[in-house]
Amino acid sequence: MEEKIVAFVNDQISSNQTDEKIEAQDDLLGGGILDSLGMMRLISFIETEFGIKVPPEDMTIENFINIETITGYISSK
Amino acid sequence: MNFSLTDEQQAYKEKVIEFAQNELNTSYTERDRDSVFSREDWEKCAKFGLQGLATPTAYGGSADEVNILTATVAMEGFGYGCKDNGLAFGLNAQMWTVQFPIAQFGTESQKKKFLPKLAAGTWIGCHALTEPNAGSDVYSMETTATKVDGGYILNGSKRYITFAPISDVVLVFVKTNPKLGKWGMSAFLVEKGMEGFTAGLNRPKMGLRTVPFGDLFFEDCFVPDENLLGKEGAGWAITNSSLEHDRCTILAGQLGAMEYQLEETIKFVKDRKQFGQAISQFQSVSNRIANMKLRIETSRLLLYKVAWLKSQGASTMMESALLKLHLSESFVDSSLDAIRNHGGHGYLSENEIERNLRDAVGGVIYAGTSDIQRNIISKLLGL
Repeated sequence: MEEKIVAFVNDQISSNQTDEKIEAQDDLLGGGILDSLGMMRLISFIETEFGIKVPPEDMTIENFINIETITGYISSK
Repeated sequence: MNFSLTDEQQAYKEKVIEFAQNELNTSYTERDRDSVFSREDWEKCAKFGLQGLATPTAYGGSADEVNILTATVAMEGFGYGCKDNGLAFGLNAQMWTVQFPIAQFGTESQKKKFLPKLAAGTWIGCHALTEPNAGSDVYSMETTATKVDGGYILNGSKRYITFAPISDVVLVFVKTNPKLGKWGMSAFLVEKGMEGFTAGLNRPKMGLRTVPFGDLFFEDCFVPDENLLGKEGAGWAITNSSLEHDRCTILAGQLGAMEYQLEETIKFVKDRKQFGQAISQFQSVSNRIANMKLRIETSRLLLYKVAWLKSQGASTMMESALLKLHLSESFVDSSLDAIRNHGGHGYLSENEIERNLRDAVGGVIYAGTSDIQRNIISKLLGL
């Protein structure tokens, strides 16, 4: 699960201008790696790939700050 | 694929059209000229049940669950039947950016306190996001809320807010943790009369003059903990969710207006004679009619697709951006075509043709400008 999300962020939606790849503990939100559209695309990817529904009330920094917290959130669903 | 409405949806749409045509179309030309909002018409809409479409029955609404498809069809009918585009705009603004987020994110006590009054039309609410230095770049907002014992202290101001001058409750977005940028944004329900909160006067504008519009000011305004909507930091999710719904239904009213606009233009060009024949016989005129019809059909397809996707709980990032861009620009283009086909008659305010053009221009700016919609589309295409 973690590898798929890391690959998606690195290949599809990261706004990081350098060649440096993101890791599971990197701050996606405060670190500026994801903008709001990137966040929506990531949520859409998670819903399709892992067959869950992410309601708006779950779209919080606690759940999406890094890939570790995202995988924890998905596992809890 | 079946794009037809159910019998129930069609019947409700016709009921809305009948209500709007028979109960609302009075004095709107004078109110447009003088920038006057009709509280009486607002209350009639509430009595009919329009504001209730965005609120569950348990809190004074009209359905067990909010149905975006039914609401979209209803607002298309409303736009067709009601000539007051400002009223349609104001209804949608409150329903989807105030009532809906309270229904979706509010505590039981917030829902009981605010929703029945908003659905009944006794209270008016507004959604306050834009600031003097934060328009399209909305997350650079500067209004802040600082945590204190029992609540928060708000400081800052909001600009270009629909219903700001007359709102009883404001759903305001502020930074509770500025270090986190957009992820440190929270939403509060600020009530009229709270110390430190003031609203400016109605600001005259090009179109949609029948709905008041203005600024809000927060100066050491204390807001109790119970007025925080959702969790601290949930502001982004709240505004994102409500604006997606707003884009769908707010444009439905414009589609309805484009439909009666086409009917009136066809009637005029068939009746109007020049050079010994109806002007509809000239291709320059009839081509504009064909373009107006094409814009309606393509807009409706996009609108119904977004409404259907939203009703299925699906994400509509690309579709909503395409819809907002296409329908709002179509209304501007068709309003200009309607004026061209009406000639001098269309240019005079007293004939009510030019009003749609003035009202349409706002659509390419509010709820995300056309430029922003193009940015979203191109970014989703990987550019």
